Amino acid sequence: MTVDALTFVGESIFGRSSTVPGLLAALDAAGVVRAVVAPHKPPGYHLAAANDAVAAAVAAGGGRLTGLARVDPLQGAAAAAELERALDLGLRGLFLHPWEETFRIADAVVDRVVAVARERSVPVVVASGYPWLSEALQVGALAERFPQVTFVATNGLQLNISGLGQVDAQLALADAPNLLLLTSGVYREDFLEGVVRRFGCERLLYASAFPYFDPRLEVRRVQWAAFDEEEQAALLHGNAERVFSI
Amino acid sequence: MIVDAHLHVDDLPALGWQLEAAECVRRLDEAGIARGVVMTIVDAPEVNPDAIELIAEACAAYPGRLDAFARIHPWYGDTSVELLEHAFALGFKGLKLHPVTTIAHPAEEQTLRLIRVAASHNAPTLFHCGDEPLTTPYAVGRAAAACPEATVILGHMGGYFHVDEALEVAEELPNVVLETSAMPYPARIREAVERVGAERVLYASDGPACSPRIEVEKVRLAGLAPGDEDAVFAGNALRLLEGVR
Repeated sequence: MTVDALTFVGESIFGRSSTVPGLLAALDAAGVVRAVVAPHKPPGYHLAAANDAVAAAVAAGGGRLTGLARVDPLQGAAAAAELERALDLGLRGLFLHPWEETFRIADAVVDRVVAVARERSVPVVVASGYPWLSEALQVGALAERFPQVTFVATNGLQLNISGLGQVDAQLALADAPNLLLLTSGVYREDFLEGVVRRFGCERLLYASAFPYFDPRLEVRRVQWAAFDEEEQAALLHGNAERVFSI
Repeated sequence: MIVDAHLHVDDLPALGWQLEAAECVRRLDEAGIARGVVMTIVDAPEVNPDAIELIAEACAAYPGRLDAFARIHPWYGDTSVELLEHAFALGFKGLKLHPVTTIAHPAEEQTLRLIRVAASHNAPTLFHCGDEPLTTPYAVGRAAAACPEATVILGHMGGYFHVDEALEVAEELPNVVLETSAMPYPARIREAVERVGAERVLYASDGPACSPRIEVEKVRLAGLAPGDEDAVFAGNALRLLEGVR
């Protein structure tokens, strides 16, 4: 059994809309059984409607989907209220996209919604590796402020085709034991293997970030890396089941 | 047959990267790849004055399996040119430029001088072409436009966020080739073949730290027509390597 720890469904303002049937077909093509789903940034900018759509997708997913709620921390009290509402719908975590909502992840403005996640005992998934807004050490700083919260960073905490983001990612992992990484889009197999060797297999989760990356390729990054059976099981489903209460 | 157009051999304790020729060959074998092109991570003459010899020795240890590109810092004037000529005399097949490590703009005169020397040997210049300043497709495209006689390869074809620009530059400039390594989107490889032709798309892995096997799978997932896939995997690389004089 394989769980994809981050995918997206719904309408996308960036032209990357994805449907439940399309997502399930992509999962099937990669041999993936279950997935965590988050909202895209919708054309109307209304994240509450996108959260409703994810809740509906979960209901339509035949038991294969687990949902995340997306809010914009710049909306202050309204964002916190929306997160509470979305979690009451059955969504199982908070998704933050500092690049698309344009806020700095280490900024104190984020604390209000993370505090809700802490109170509700749900994880916080952060779109990571974006310059100026969600660099590895910025995500790490937030994780250090909330040691009781589990943070899950996309893209191995880096989006750098020179491999120059690796050291900061490792420093952030060392400083914040509550910080975990997703494998989505990480092209350096040695980095993934190094995270497991140095920090343990419980710190890394398979994810494709479909439709942004291709699950058929992304799952191979884990399946073909030098991980033993126990590590493969943790990365491919055990960690996601634990973190997202699947 | 598959040829991997972009691999690294180097020893960089500061980064914890030890990339040996034997590991490159092991990774090529694992992926069913016949030949690979190797280059250093750092540049000659700084920070490694022996970078050319390091690569020459790696290729000599695996005849018929490894070919060489010379990674050279453009800022050393005549010394840079002499190093490149020395490399071609040793049988090197191309020039590699990585503006992140050199902070030399692709279109500045000293860089263009090296590209033109490579072109005088009918040898390609492989640029790191990603999301970082000095490496974007528009910046590298300036160099390709200034040297129409040169073959300029956009390594990583724009990285995570600059693939659209890489395709645009390749459509505009017939001397530009798109190289697939690390760029994580199989569908964009198919789009590249459709927009600029299979003869200007080149398989590579950026191994051995990146998995050549995964990178081969990425091209296969692009779903190219068999003839196009053959060109991307081997035909284009062989044409470039065997055309060097």
